[in-house]
Amino acid sequence: MPNTFFGWIHLLIDEYGSLFLQGAGVTMLIAVVGTVAGFVIGLLVAILRTIPIKPSAPAWQRILLRGFRTVLTVYIEVFRGTPMIVQAMVVYYGALQYLQLDMSALLAAFLVVSVNTGAYMAEIVRGGILSVDKGQKEAATAVGLTHWQSMTNVILPQAIRSILPAVGNEFVVNIKDSSVLNVISVTEVYFMSKSAAGTYLKYFEVFFITAVIYFVLTFTTTRILRLVEKKLSGKDSYTVYGSQSDSNAPIRYSPEDR
Amino acid sequence: MDSSNSPIIEILGLDKKFGRNTVLSGIDLHVPKGQVVCLIGPSGSGKSTLLRCINLLETPDAGIIRFHGQDTTQMPKGLLHAKIGMVFQQFNLFGNLDALENCVLGQMKVLRRSRIQSVGIAGKYLERVGMLPYRDARPDQLSGGQKQRVAIARALAMDPEVLLFDEPTSALDPEMVDEVLSVIRTLKDGGLTMIIVTHEMAFARDAADRVVFMDAGQLVEEGKPEALFTNPKNDRTRAFLSRSLRGHGTGLA
Repeated sequence: MPNTFFGWIHLLIDEYGSLFLQGAGVTMLIAVVGTVAGFVIGLLVAILRTIPIKPSAPAWQRILLRGFRTVLTVYIEVFRGTPMIVQAMVVYYGALQYLQLDMSALLAAFLVVSVNTGAYMAEIVRGGILSVDKGQKEAATAVGLTHWQSMTNVILPQAIRSILPAVGNEFVVNIKDSSVLNVISVTEVYFMSKSAAGTYLKYFEVFFITAVIYFVLTFTTTRILRLVEKKLSGKDSYTVYGSQSDSNAPIRYSPEDR
Repeated sequence: MDSSNSPIIEILGLDKKFGRNTVLSGIDLHVPKGQVVCLIGPSGSGKSTLLRCINLLETPDAGIIRFHGQDTTQMPKGLLHAKIGMVFQQFNLFGNLDALENCVLGQMKVLRRSRIQSVGIAGKYLERVGMLPYRDARPDQLSGGQKQRVAIARALAMDPEVLLFDEPTSALDPEMVDEVLSVIRTLKDGGLTMIIVTHEMAFARDAADRVVFMDAGQLVEEGKPEALFTNPKNDRTRAFLSRSLRGHGTGLA
């Protein structure tokens, strides 16, 4: 048995290296699936929530729309107002006991992270939509586009560029927060670490390695996102102003910068 | 199609409130095909709101607006907006699309034209407003006057029967006003029906077939430009005209 810190690190990596790697893979998989699916959910929810309720519309239409908005607001409030660790338990065991639905832990993980991220994304996208000048929607309407058409062709392409840093941020949050899914035995990197630590009861050494893994994952992701953002801003007419992941990004737009 | 002397747009007893604030009351207005009507009046008199009611960007509280005799609220939205185009004070070009695509989008999505056909028509109208060389430019690469000309081409590409202009030159630097006004004049020569909210009295005077003066949400006086400008019958019209003709640029936006 080694008797130094580095000795232990060496032994643990030798013995559990593939376990850590596998866990890191699952963590990234959950983060990617959850963020992408959550982003799609967020876009849809934001489009639905911004359907204008015209006072001239028939009563049943207005009631339906209002009901719909309420349901979406409740979804956002509930999933932002409860911890993901609790959501994981409720969804996984709820499905098992009351719907006789024995999902794999990984499927439950995808579901929980997607729906949870969707609630945050919906608010981020809504903020992005509100940041686009009102005249854009009016012009789209005046040309004859439907709400859906003006959103997908005019408003969202402009909104998404401005919310890109916030979306990237959610991705990084998901890499870290998917660790809570260990409570439903998802084999992500935290769960793997727990198993590894149990053998020799070397918690500090194991979780030191875990911390390094998480940091490498988030650091790399942040750099890649920064590159993507730079690429988008490289085009002549668009810069992601006030970027959150690049301290060099301009905070304010000035036309002379071009 | 109706005969040319029947109104293309017919407004009867139009009321519009914003909350408790009455913005328009009892507006009656008939616009025959091919006529150019200029709406003038002080800021807050309801000119823009009237315009926005015509293409249902605002929903009227009472009254009826007919297009070729048909109640506009009963028309399919896409058709209504294609037939009645609009040009905004702030241009509102789609910021994510270049000049050409600005003119193509509505044609493809609303009129279901093919891409080839849409691009051809867009090019034709961009040429007509003198903006074809800038077809690949993004809105933020264009000057105000250029943006407004693209916005006019975008509206024309939908083959509208009526074009609404909401203070098309108010957001422009003075030296760019003429390039936009001259485009509008060529449209008049082409026989397009237009309703134009404007503070450019000289333009209203020489380009309009009819001038309508509005104040405090009411249609106060209307007539041929020579008659209304030289011999206004209503005191409010007289007061407004003397104010706005005294110094050019009333500071009203």
